[in-house]
Amino acid sequence: MKNKRQFRKRDILYLLPMWLLSLILPDPLPHLKKEFRKRDLFYLVALLLLPLLRPDSHFNYIMILAGIYAILAVGLSLFLGYAGQISLGHGAFFGIGAYTTAILTTRCTFPTLAAFGASAVAAAIMAYLVGKPILKLKGYFLALATLGFGEIFLVVVKEWDGLTNGVIGIFDIPWFSMAGFTFDTYLKQYYLVWGVLTGLVLFSKNLVRSKMGRAFLAVASSEDAAASIGINVATLKLEVFVLSAVFAGFAGSLFSCIMSIANPEAFGLNLSTLIVMMVVLGGMGNLYGPVAGAIFLTWLTDMLGKYQEYSLPVYGVILILLLLFFPDGVGTRLGTRFVYLISYWPKKKRRDEVRS
Amino acid sequence: MSPLANIPQLLSSGITLGAIYALVGLGFVIISRASQIVNFAQGEFVMLGGVVTFSLLHRGLPYPLAALISIAFVITVGFILQVLVIHPLRKASVLVLIMATLGASFFLSSTSGLVFGTLPKALPSFSGERSFHVFGILVSPQTIWVLGATLLLLMVLYFLSHRTLLGKAMEASSTDPLGADLSGISRNFMTFLSFGVSAGTGAIAGIFIAPLFYTSYSVGTLLGLKGFVAAVLGGWGKNSGAILGGFVLGIVESVSVAFIPSGYKDAIAFVVLLLILYLRPKGILGSPYIDSRRW
Repeated sequence: MKNKRQFRKRDILYLLPMWLLSLILPDPLPHLKKEFRKRDLFYLVALLLLPLLRPDSHFNYIMILAGIYAILAVGLSLFLGYAGQISLGHGAFFGIGAYTTAILTTRCTFPTLAAFGASAVAAAIMAYLVGKPILKLKGYFLALATLGFGEIFLVVVKEWDGLTNGVIGIFDIPWFSMAGFTFDTYLKQYYLVWGVLTGLVLFSKNLVRSKMGRAFLAVASSEDAAASIGINVATLKLEVFVLSAVFAGFAGSLFSCIMSIANPEAFGLNLSTLIVMMVVLGGMGNLYGPVAGAIFLTWLTDMLGKYQEYSLPVYGVILILLLLFFPDGVGTRLGTRFVYLISYWPKKKRRDEVRS
Repeated sequence: MSPLANIPQLLSSGITLGAIYALVGLGFVIISRASQIVNFAQGEFVMLGGVVTFSLLHRGLPYPLAALISIAFVITVGFILQVLVIHPLRKASVLVLIMATLGASFFLSSTSGLVFGTLPKALPSFSGERSFHVFGILVSPQTIWVLGATLLLLMVLYFLSHRTLLGKAMEASSTDPLGADLSGISRNFMTFLSFGVSAGTGAIAGIFIAPLFYTSYSVGTLLGLKGFVAAVLGGWGKNSGAILGGFVLGIVESVSVAFIPSGYKDAIAFVVLLLILYLRPKGILGSPYIDSRRW
């Protein structure tokens, strides 16, 4: 049989949109692909150019907020998407990060960079203390226990007036500054937040390809099987919990520096569920999904804010509809369809060859 | 006055609070016994029960009629929730189910705030406002109503789940799904029914507590969570566990006010939860699910 290539003009039509889509969509099968692709470069350039293309202060503000939530979501995605555990208490670690920065910079006149580090350390210590007893739980019980921790944190923050200034919160937190350079405009803060996010995503990308990252996936699929091949499941779960709390601590520190206020309203159950939604909608088990989910949900909440009292019910309905139609994430489902289309094309060609 | 002198009075209010937690916890147990789903919107049924009764009473309906219509309304909401949200997601992961029920809870509470107003509401007592003294403790007549209703509901639910074919079918569809399918039990229908029963229980609890504690559109979430804590504390998956856990939680929470600042009261339930999950995850009475199943 002759190995004749039949290339039709029609195929060019498929190619262009698929190539464009491949730049935007998250990777459906990340473990089969090379480490660094054109797509990553595309994201990076888009990230750098975005605020310059749209110099609109409200847009920049939304993107800063989305960046902070994306840091949280990427951290949670390690715990939720890779290690397969459930946490509904990540708002608390975010809050611990924010309050540590707020207290250290306003009361003890720490430089913000030191407070930034201290926030992550504080969140990590708290995560270690909380995670040690509760991470042996699974499913609904783990969800309930983490949620309970979030509620305890909220009550303590509201009641401990001396340290946290109660429900009023702490004001006048200084801008983030580093080596004499102050991030005082939205544009500078945009690059700060998304710079931190890029660093953390690169770290996570390397992490999930390491031995530890593979172990996360093993624990997610079956804890017994993972234990039988020599993975210390309890320690691993604790490590990934602490790691995702560190991410949340960073995010909280940035949040309090940029908003220059830390009050308990921002760290409740609503925030925790919002972050989990970002990870779920972005797709479990990939790192760009949570970022896309964070941008989408931040934009959605902002857009619905225009309708005031109708925004909350509509928001609830949209969340439920998204879950009903994309229970394994918007990116994942579109990505699977995309892989199917690509693989269909060469197979069809081969079938045609066999037939001729 | 020393804090200990208040304890008998706190104990009596703790028992009332405990009855409420027990009723809310029962709602969780009913659904989980039929389908192993935890419905995080359970607290909203309680909230809706109180709020809808209040708004009907405001329109001039007599009390019993308003209560009955409100219970029927909440049961319908439970059915709708099952059909529109739970049924399409019955094969989804635990996480997606949690998020979907939390989304439903969010939707129900904000919609009720929009429709019925956001001000706190108090229903009138069932039989007069005059409290009476028992052994020097001030007891409101509503407390007796609440305790009586809890006892009655518990008996009804016991008969439903242990003495009727329907209840046994519900139980079977949870303990052995394949066996239930083989013996011709429709698991979807059992889940559907359990949501109705659970919503009804929640609504009754909501109507009975509304005269004692103010009700408003936002009370549901916390009440639901505490009910879940109560069910876990007593022993997950057992009616008796939910009842016992509810009373223990209510009393602990109420008596704690004597020893720590009252602002920390809301945290007590979750501290108790973390302790019980750490020390004895199957709860006080033991749970039929914890050891045999992967939770």
